[in-house]
Amino acid sequence: MSLTVMILKMSQGLGRTCAIFFLTLLFSLPLGMLVALLRMSKNRLVSLLTRAVISVLRGTPLMLQLLAVTYGPYYLFHWSISRNKLIPVVIAFAINYAAYFAEIYRGGIESIPVGQYEAAEVLGFTRGQTFFRIILPQVIKRILPSITNEIVTLVKDTSMAFTVSYQEMFTIGKEIANSQTSFLPFVVAGVFYFIFNGVVDYGMGALEKRLNYYR
Amino acid sequence: MKKLLTVSLALVLVIALLCAGSPAAFAARNTSFIMGIDAEYPPFSFMDDNGDYSGFDVEVCRAVCDKLGWKLEIFPVNWDNKLIQLDAGECDCVWSGMTILDSMKEAGYVISAPYYDNTQVVLVKADSGITTSAELEGKDVAVQLGTSGEALLKGDLADLAATFNQLVTCDSFLKCFTELDGNGVDAVFVDKPVAEAYASENEGFVIIDENLGAEQYGIAFRAADQELCDAVEAAVAELVADGTYAEIAANYPKIVNNLLFLSGSEAADELIASDCVEAAAAVDSAA
Repeated sequence: MSLTVMILKMSQGLGRTCAIFFLTLLFSLPLGMLVALLRMSKNRLVSLLTRAVISVLRGTPLMLQLLAVTYGPYYLFHWSISRNKLIPVVIAFAINYAAYFAEIYRGGIESIPVGQYEAAEVLGFTRGQTFFRIILPQVIKRILPSITNEIVTLVKDTSMAFTVSYQEMFTIGKEIANSQTSFLPFVVAGVFYFIFNGVVDYGMGALEKRLNYYR
Repeated sequence: MKKLLTVSLALVLVIALLCAGSPAAFAARNTSFIMGIDAEYPPFSFMDDNGDYSGFDVEVCRAVCDKLGWKLEIFPVNWDNKLIQLDAGECDCVWSGMTILDSMKEAGYVISAPYYDNTQVVLVKADSGITTSAELEGKDVAVQLGTSGEALLKGDLADLAATFNQLVTCDSFLKCFTELDGNGVDAVFVDKPVAEAYASENEGFVIIDENLGAEQYGIAFRAADQELCDAVEAAVAELVADGTYAEIAANYPKIVNNLLFLSGSEAADELIASDCVEAAAAVDSAA
């Protein structure tokens, strides 16, 4: 198999890798905010419960969570295993990443001085207005580098979808490596991930620059 | 100066990595013999009820090591990286129901004489109504990545595979069977003994009565280890000659018919008559 054919074959899987990537971000970024707000809830029970969930999600391997989401319903309730593996894969990824994003959001929100809330109250802002117009824009600026970190990790984590037989780029690379008895597909995969992350890095860098309007 | 130091350190690292890439030949006397297995491949190699590695291949290898006075170590490889791990020296052979592929020989690996004749079959649910491979058209079929079944579906049987709705590659047989059981796929393309073992232990599964490609199992060694291969083959030949091989095989009734070396067969006669036995005598006296 020539290198061109190899790259062509693997780039077919790249579409699926991108599907995991974008869908995970689409669901986990807002979900993470919800979890963060629950985690900071004044209600002790809600806060503790959320904290427990986060610790499970962060404390167990993503690979196990993928297996649990895909095969768990079958073992527990004898539901049919999903034929479209993208669904369980995205669910597992979104939940897992939401847990990490939630803690990043919390860190950002708690870094804003209490004085700002008091000032907003004096100026007659409602609690919603205070959060969305004053707090959130500052939080986003502060947490952007940490978010980039997670997104870069996500690009590489997509290869884990292999454990539940989802044919993304790295799986196809493994298949080629096997049938051709060659190491080259792994090199190609490495280059693909590196370029992908290069684009992510550039995009996030540009966003950070744009948000840097006070300096 | 600091920069120069960094660059030279990096260079040394790269060179060290490159050197590590060329595997050294096996030296029997000062190290143990490390057998690379797929730990999820019954009845050839698997974890038994006591948590120890067992199986036909493991038992034969243990007998070989006993004969040659080697210390046996078992190393479960990641099946789809098995040859890379062999090259890296994590194991000295891959011996675990491994199908001999032409591409392995082309890549320079030393491959033993085949010892098992394997056939690929299709396992389906009994109530699926599928009775021939032609009826798999438009269905989802699972296969384990890195197995001969997968190679076959990508090669000689590519036309058949093209009629499937999709080919799902799993990283273990357990997942293939779980997918089938949970209706994630309609059929599993798998080695005959594995399918037979599964169908006999679990109700509701049948094997489509159709042989889809004969393959043979062998043992893979590093390119530099022709001598090691000869020694192992010779020891196996002795085990065949003295009946130990047949004794071990008797514990695995499901695969016994496909074993090529069982006494009385042509392959066994050939093996025993070959020069290998002399090589074994030489190794024996050296040890």
